[in-house]
Amino acid sequence: MNLNMSSAESLVAQIQGLSGNLADLTQLRNYLKQSDDSLHLESTRLAPLLNELDPSLHSLGYLYILEACTSGPIAKEQANEFVLLVSRFMNVCAAEHIRLASDKFISLCKRFKDQVMLLEDPMRGVAPMLAALRKLQTSTEQLTTLHPDFLLLCLLSKCYKTGLSILGDDIFEIDQPRDLFLYCYYGGMICIGQKFRKALELLHNVVTAPMPIISAIAVEAYKKYILVSLIHLGQFSTSFPKYTSSAAQRNLKNFSQPYLELVNSYSTGKVSELEMCVQTNKDKFESDKNLGLVKQVVSSMYKRNIQRLTQTYLTLSLQDIANTVQLNSPKEAEMHVLQMIQEGEIYATINQKDGMVRFLEDPEQYKTCEMIERIDSSIQRIMMLSKKLSTMNEMMSCDPSYLGKVGRERQRFDFDDFDTVPSKFNI
Amino acid sequence: MASSSSSGLTFKLHPLVIVNISDHYTRVKSQSLPTQAAPNSADASSLPPAPPPRVFGCVIGVQRGRTVEIFNSFELLYDPSAHSLDRAFLEKKQELYKKVFPNFYILGWYSTGSDAQESDMVIHKALMDINESPVYVLLNPSINPAQKDLPITIYESELHVIDGIPQLIFVRSSYTIETVEAERISVDHVAHLKPSDGGSAATQWDIPCENSLLRQVSSLLRRLPAIESEKFQDDFLMEYNDTLLITYLAMFTNCTSTMNELVDKFNTAYDRHSRRGGRTAFI
Repeated sequence: MNLNMSSAESLVAQIQGLSGNLADLTQLRNYLKQSDDSLHLESTRLAPLLNELDPSLHSLGYLYILEACTSGPIAKEQANEFVLLVSRFMNVCAAEHIRLASDKFISLCKRFKDQVMLLEDPMRGVAPMLAALRKLQTSTEQLTTLHPDFLLLCLLSKCYKTGLSILGDDIFEIDQPRDLFLYCYYGGMICIGQKFRKALELLHNVVTAPMPIISAIAVEAYKKYILVSLIHLGQFSTSFPKYTSSAAQRNLKNFSQPYLELVNSYSTGKVSELEMCVQTNKDKFESDKNLGLVKQVVSSMYKRNIQRLTQTYLTLSLQDIANTVQLNSPKEAEMHVLQMIQEGEIYATINQKDGMVRFLEDPEQYKTCEMIERIDSSIQRIMMLSKKLSTMNEMMSCDPSYLGKVGRERQRFDFDDFDTVPSKFNI
Repeated sequence: MASSSSSGLTFKLHPLVIVNISDHYTRVKSQSLPTQAAPNSADASSLPPAPPPRVFGCVIGVQRGRTVEIFNSFELLYDPSAHSLDRAFLEKKQELYKKVFPNFYILGWYSTGSDAQESDMVIHKALMDINESPVYVLLNPSINPAQKDLPITIYESELHVIDGIPQLIFVRSSYTIETVEAERISVDHVAHLKPSDGGSAATQWDIPCENSLLRQVSSLLRRLPAIESEKFQDDFLMEYNDTLLITYLAMFTNCTSTMNELVDKFNTAYDRHSRRGGRTAFI
């Protein structure tokens, strides 16, 4: 079918006519699906059609035509125009329309991301991608394929705050499992530096995600996970939680030898040993692009040691702190302690007259109304989580793959022969 | 009809009897439902609800001195035309139970309903040839969330002079619940087999106004302006926080336990090389 002038007009007319309500849209979508191939054939002549359509009202038709006319290779000179056109569409398009053709929309956005990166201006892509993401999502609990691309753009353009706003949403639904890996990995990288706890959580998700075979993303995430865990928690346990896939449990450690050596030298508590270990493995850290994090690990060692002092001493002089923690001077010790107090990592007062530091208890008395509100909101959150968990548990119990296997794995003795504690309390 | 008994007998009731009676009633009720045309919500107001069916049976047990202990029960057929229980069936059942429990005697009979009725006396008198003073166990099957005690009443018969005529009437007796360890475990087990919908009781019916509770609340509220001191604030908030934290901890534990089950199931279903042997015993 050749797309000549009259059929082009009829196409435009169809799009304009059928963009009103959902029933018409479904009809339009079927029509567009059929015409898709012919649209692609005539991609060079489709550009003027776009001018006759309003991207916010006729989003579905606009999407099909836009995708068809940009499906060919894009020359460098045209890249800018392309980016402008698509970003405008992404910003104004109607959510219900594009959800009917989500694959096309996703592929369009991915090409947009590629072009933006080729132009080496990732910042231009951040806002449109965020808008597109929100429109594609059916709820804030859903992870779309655009999430990792968005986070990548945020990372490259250093727009960390925008990235953090998306990361605050709890995810319960995932379109494609592989989106999760990249989303959590990029998310973890964005959070490093501002919110170590969230970074740890996201990287933990990558490492423990179900994977039939070992994934390269998981390997890289594991390396960063070790480093972030050392920085934030001061320790790292090499045992995996039981919900980690067996592929990960068997293989991850093999790929991260230098990092595990770092963990060992960290646990000695001596800065000199740690620095030696860093020196020996410097090249590997650098090639993994983790050298910056490794340096942070070293500086966190001082923090750990000072924190350990709070458990032994009530007051200590700055000189003694410097000696124990292997810092060069009391001045440096003062700087470290001051920074830790500011970040809320220890509670102490520095008496500058005689250079003594007095370590204090956590002043939180748990008798304020603000604390009540905090606990109350936590309880609400956990109630919601509990409901979701119970539904998932029930769904799992009905899952045929589970039911098939559980019959086979029955032990020789009946479950009731063991004196078991009831496994669930009903509140 | 129901004043308190003066016979001086102590009654001990076993929970098995209660479970039996309630089971009998529930079965008969659920089996009789299809015969009633199920009213849809539009007709519910116009059709009067069918009266709940009454079930009948015998209770058996042991009488030692002044203590009457009711251990078990069995069902009987009621003949509405003759206002009596099926005698032949009763005797056959009695023989059978005698073989298994030689110590148990027929102590009386049971039925369901909200209150003892005149016609019940006929049945009661009929049983008097087996036991001179039978007991009548009545179970009230209507669920009343306001009532805190068990809906079971035990009646004895006494000869009272009313209007110059000596008559047998029902008088209430008090009773206690008595269990054997094995019985307690099995009854507990049966009770928990029900799908747990503990929330439904609270949501289905409005909790009836408890006046005593409201009085306590209002007296507490009236006392509040007098205790406006900083110390009270501190203590109160601290205790409130403690309670909230305990609730939070409890929910956490519950969630963790669900999560643990879910992870186990997931590993069994999808992880190819999970530990063989499934669950380990919880020690």
